[in-house]
Amino acid sequence: MIPENVMNQPSWYESSARARIEGLLDAGSFKEILGPQDHVMSPHLALFDLPPAFDDGMIIGRGLIDGRPVAIAAQEGQFMGGTFAEVSGAKLVGLLRAVARNAGTPQEVSTVFLLLDTGGVRLQEANAGEMAVSETIHAILDVRHAGVPVVALIGGRAGAFGGGGLVTACCSHIIISEQGRISVSGPEVIETNKGVEEFDSRDRALVWRVTGGRSRVLLGGADSYVKGDIGSFRKAAEVINNNAPPLSLETLEREQGRLEHRLKAYGNCHDTPEIWVIAGLSTPAGIADLTEDDFIDLLVKEGVRHDAR
Amino acid sequence: MTDWTKQKAERARRVAAVTSLVSGKVVEPENVTSLLERIICSGDRVCLEGDNQKQADFLAESLTRVDPAQVHDLHIVQSGLVLSEHIDLFRLGIARKLDFSYSGPQSGAIARALDQGKIELGAIHTYIELFARYFVDLTPHVSLIAAVSADRNGNLYTGPNTEDTPTIVEATAYKNGIVIAQVNKIVDEVPRTDIPGDQVDFIVEAPRPFYVEPLFTRDPAAVTETQILMAMIALKGIYAEYRPRRLNHGIGFATAAIELLLPTYGKQLGLQGEVATHWALNPHPTLIPAIESGWVQQIHCFGSEVGMDHYMSARSDVYFIGHDGTLRSNRLLCQNAGLYACDMFIGSTLQIDLAGNSSTVTPDRIAGFGGAPNMGADAHGRRHISDAWLKAGREAAGNNGPLVRGRKLVVQMAETFGEGMKPAFVEELDSIVLARKLGMPLAPVMIFGDDVTHIVTEEGVANLLLCRNADEIEQAIRGVAGYTPVGLARDRVKVEALRQRGVIRRPEDLGIDILQANRNLLAARSVRDLVTWSDGLYAPPSKFRNW
Repeated sequence: MIPENVMNQPSWYESSARARIEGLLDAGSFKEILGPQDHVMSPHLALFDLPPAFDDGMIIGRGLIDGRPVAIAAQEGQFMGGTFAEVSGAKLVGLLRAVARNAGTPQEVSTVFLLLDTGGVRLQEANAGEMAVSETIHAILDVRHAGVPVVALIGGRAGAFGGGGLVTACCSHIIISEQGRISVSGPEVIETNKGVEEFDSRDRALVWRVTGGRSRVLLGGADSYVKGDIGSFRKAAEVINNNAPPLSLETLEREQGRLEHRLKAYGNCHDTPEIWVIAGLSTPAGIADLTEDDFIDLLVKEGVRHDAR
Repeated sequence: MTDWTKQKAERARRVAAVTSLVSGKVVEPENVTSLLERIICSGDRVCLEGDNQKQADFLAESLTRVDPAQVHDLHIVQSGLVLSEHIDLFRLGIARKLDFSYSGPQSGAIARALDQGKIELGAIHTYIELFARYFVDLTPHVSLIAAVSADRNGNLYTGPNTEDTPTIVEATAYKNGIVIAQVNKIVDEVPRTDIPGDQVDFIVEAPRPFYVEPLFTRDPAAVTETQILMAMIALKGIYAEYRPRRLNHGIGFATAAIELLLPTYGKQLGLQGEVATHWALNPHPTLIPAIESGWVQQIHCFGSEVGMDHYMSARSDVYFIGHDGTLRSNRLLCQNAGLYACDMFIGSTLQIDLAGNSSTVTPDRIAGFGGAPNMGADAHGRRHISDAWLKAGREAAGNNGPLVRGRKLVVQMAETFGEGMKPAFVEELDSIVLARKLGMPLAPVMIFGDDVTHIVTEEGVANLLLCRNADEIEQAIRGVAGYTPVGLARDRVKVEALRQRGVIRRPEDLGIDILQANRNLLAARSVRDLVTWSDGLYAPPSKFRNW
């Protein structure tokens, strides 16, 4: 039974990028930069007889959360798979560079929120897309150096794959829901290259067991786990403080150590339940089937498994 | 002197011919093909149990391995021609003639085989019609069936997916035929006896469980806003008007949307307890929210559905559950229930012509009928009344005459443009084109126009009961056909007149706010939500998960 007050909550997974922004920010506070009315569109898609979008699937701007100024960028996963491309990439990089430059000025924002929903680079403009990914990573690191945390929110239909997975991992803090997925090579790509024995992309339970939100947060690949409604993402965004570790050599060395340990402990596992057995979780085979409340209880009990990023 | 027991003697001869291959009733898997070669004779009518869900797949595979020089020209009489092995029988020359109901995934292969002359087609039936002919002129000589478990005496437990089995066995066993069952497991004692052992000749423990297709699972995540709007139109324009309590739903997304709107929009309309309380319906997972909200009193099922068994066992007040605690389905009885005991059938279709005839046939596919023509037909033998049935009958008769019989509500739902932007409304059905091409004397029409009472599209609902002649029916259909060529060719004056008479009702005529038609109105928006609604009892197959 689903209580009526929960039944009609708008879901992050289902919503458009604009609806996510609207639900995340204080009402009416969003000021879009290079909005659809500016018609800054992909110059490449027409060559492939593909329709462009007025915002190229990337929505950027400023707004308030609990009265605090923030910068925000959201990918529309339903347009071309929310991919990184020339225009969408330039908009994101421009936003991040402006945040870094404005740090310490009256234009400063407290946090950058990246609402990623992407399969990675847009294949029709792959060179520009690859450039956009590396420029985005560079810009994120500059923003973090400037002392402004960059927070990724992952729970859209396209997940965060390819360059989107790399960008996510470079953020100060990652918020994820059960439906959210983070990885570099997508399930279909792995199956195509390594065979169905390596990874069956049509086994959706397997895809989520490996790349989905619950596994990511248990493995330390995400920092906060939220229920899938927009309100829960908003609540998690409200409480993000600037407590992320500084982007220093020491932090990176700690993270390297954590990843080396993880590889040693779990490197031979073929599926996540094997990892949970080694990690000593109480219901290793049933993690995916726990209710949201039970899973959140489990996380509280287990604690977050890393302190570095 | 006439010998009146030739069939009995022939049966005894065949059974005696395989004694070396069996131990009691049990045959080992590796001996099955040899057994089939001795039990089945060329020209036999054979039922190789397969419907739209469960498949005697091991026996099917074994039958494709018999020597075609020894066994050939079989006449296949079965409801579903679904596995590639079923087509192989014709390709290999083991079978020649075919009478069936449904083909689903093999619909393209059947059309090709017909075209190449590999299949001699008897007829495409509805389920209930084929089952009826099992007892008249298509009685199987040999039936190859599937069950969950058997004891050594041949008592069978067919479990939640009982479906066609009792009907097939009844026709075969009581007419000197031979029944062979593949079972997932041979056990000491079956949980319940669905088929008594004296009707079963041989059993084999198959190397793997029989295959079951999850055919009725519609992912709420894939329900579109257009389908939600159509569901709202149906609920307000038909459910609220006629108040049908007993009904059947088709398996498309449009009816899944209705199921998911019952606890939300249906409740807003005050329909809970007034409509949709008793069902002839497969175990649709999308009905779970309505069941859990207390809408549904009783459901009888044609078959089962993958993942629904535990949920149904735990809801025995709603479903038909054996004393062993698992579902009992029965396709023949449920089809009969849908034909005679339901006030409404509502389902999606692919093509509708100007007389309201509809079809799911495309030029290169013969998908068969399944049960929709029975669900979607007015039963002229019906004699009991209900308010919904009488109201529809009075509308059809124009409230005239001393002897008004009722009408079953037969509602067809179609988006004006279907997959690939193909118009759903056409001047001529593809099935008529196909029938011409293959020289079929009867075009495969799913539901004939004279049975259809309402057509629902995103443009509104057309009430054909209120139409008084063929021209009005044509304009009523054009009037809800939107921007398709058929819709654009409407006579605007006539359509407006029909709208004034309430024959056509658009969303605004029904007081429906189109902006309310969004996914937040669904009681469940994902398969995960359905699991939560079911208290974790529903266990969806992996391909429907996103967690």
